[in-house]
Amino acid sequence: MTTPVVPVVPAEQAALAAGTGIGLRAAHHTAVMSTLPRVAWFEVHSENYFAEGGVQIECLSEIRSRYPLSLHGVGLSLGSTDPLDRHHVSRLKRLVRRFEPALVSDHLSWSSVGGRFLNDLLPLPHTEEAIRHVAGRIVQVQDVLGRRILIENVSSYVRFTAQSASRVQAAPLEEWEFIVAVAHESGCGLLLDLNNVFVNAHNHGFDWRDYLAGIPVPLVEEFHLAGHTTVDVQGIRTLIDTHASAVSDPVWEVHRAASRRFGAVPTLIEWDSDLPEFTVLQAEARKADLNRRAAHDLAA
Amino acid sequence: MTSLRDMQTAVLEALLEDRLGDAAPFLAPPEPHVGGRLTIHRSNILTNFSNALRSTFPVVERLVGADYFRQIAADFQRKHPSRSGDLAQVGMEFPNYLLNLHRADRFRYLSDVARLEWLIQQSSLAAHHAPFALDRLAHVEPKDYEELRFALHPSVRCFTSPFPALAIWQSNNADRDARAMTPAGDAPHAVPPGGAIALDSGPDRLVMLRPRLHLEFLRVSAGELAFLGAIAAAAPFAATIECGRGADAEFDASAALRRFITAEAIVDVEARP
Repeated sequence: MTTPVVPVVPAEQAALAAGTGIGLRAAHHTAVMSTLPRVAWFEVHSENYFAEGGVQIECLSEIRSRYPLSLHGVGLSLGSTDPLDRHHVSRLKRLVRRFEPALVSDHLSWSSVGGRFLNDLLPLPHTEEAIRHVAGRIVQVQDVLGRRILIENVSSYVRFTAQSASRVQAAPLEEWEFIVAVAHESGCGLLLDLNNVFVNAHNHGFDWRDYLAGIPVPLVEEFHLAGHTTVDVQGIRTLIDTHASAVSDPVWEVHRAASRRFGAVPTLIEWDSDLPEFTVLQAEARKADLNRRAAHDLAA
Repeated sequence: MTSLRDMQTAVLEALLEDRLGDAAPFLAPPEPHVGGRLTIHRSNILTNFSNALRSTFPVVERLVGADYFRQIAADFQRKHPSRSGDLAQVGMEFPNYLLNLHRADRFRYLSDVARLEWLIQQSSLAAHHAPFALDRLAHVEPKDYEELRFALHPSVRCFTSPFPALAIWQSNNADRDARAMTPAGDAPHAVPPGGAIALDSGPDRLVMLRPRLHLEFLRVSAGELAFLGAIAAAAPFAATIECGRGADAEFDASAALRRFITAEAIVDVEARP
């Protein structure tokens, strides 16, 4: 199976690389359309625009006529052992054709089995079986869309083990080794969510520096940044990826380190719960821009 | 594939039923706090589902209160888990679920309000269509009128209820000023926000549609409803008139046709099937 890579408009790719994007939520549609803020690019959740018509679609058309766009899915359930949902993929394809996004992405996770969906992004076990399975499905999606997609590392609070008895591995793969193997096997790119890297490093006890160092530079095409929350689970301090607050100081540190390693990768600010005024997101984007510039100056 | 599928099946069951069960062997490492951490995923799943349900059924939530809504959302999710990665599809069975839950109590109208909200969402998400181009009729011979097949705007949805569901929806709709949800003028049962509505002030017989960006409601007669239903079933014009008259002896087909073309509920016509 081959995956034709369709180049995006170079000017748009440059725009994505040059500035920080913002995850656009419906609550901010009016503010954005009335003020046309200075934002390098927007990313939206693909499934929120699966409608045939209506206000949302019209709004996205107006946004798209003024800004570069990235389509970020939450519903492909790429790691599920069910057959790929062809209807879902064809709706995504229609959206991609209509809006010609610079980037298309979804998650390295599973949400469904037996036709039932959990509407959460659950982690896969880091096994050879899972690598082969999810990579095969990513290739299927890329074939239908006719372009490369990015897959995002998810936040997780548990790790699953699911080892075929016939094929026992010497030692379980680390999360970054798993992600890199999936990318190599499928030919997809990586969307590195730096908050998820930090949250998982804390919850599962690894060093985020090892994670970044373990990922080949050319694979990474986008960063996500978001806020997390700290809770106590049975006496153990646990970080939860809530997207309900500003990016935390330690995650800004991860972003600085990642910008030094991976260069001018398009960076996105995500905020989903307890949404603040749009200007707060713009202030977060400016902080990300400063980090990126500092990394660039250091390199120069 | 067995082990990955076994793991997913056991974990999905554990998360939906909120008990570890067969999922325990698939958790690593098997320390006590790991089982506790599974509840974080459980909580995400319920919150995401509940939020999706709330965005489709905001008035149902307002009528029953946030706490009870979350409670029934959890039970509804167990019985009718989402079948799609598209959250807008969550809730198709919710009106029937509410009917079984509140068939004969003070919330007996709730199912109809939920059905109205489901149809409002379907109408809001439907495809765009240009208004009726009158020249489409210019070349039709009068002898062919009976065979004409009219077509409805993709957003047209019909709704009937023994309760004043639209008045309940309008007076409880937090988004009532939102652009997309502005109801059209001809809804005589509309009451001021917070006003009392007598449950016997129905029945409702409505057509809703979204000709441009705004959702509109038309109150219709039994004849008009039967007429539109026949058009939706792709019946020829003569048969749609028969349906209208069958439901209402006073049904005036040419008035109905004018009304629905003007309202952009009827948007196209074909001379031959």
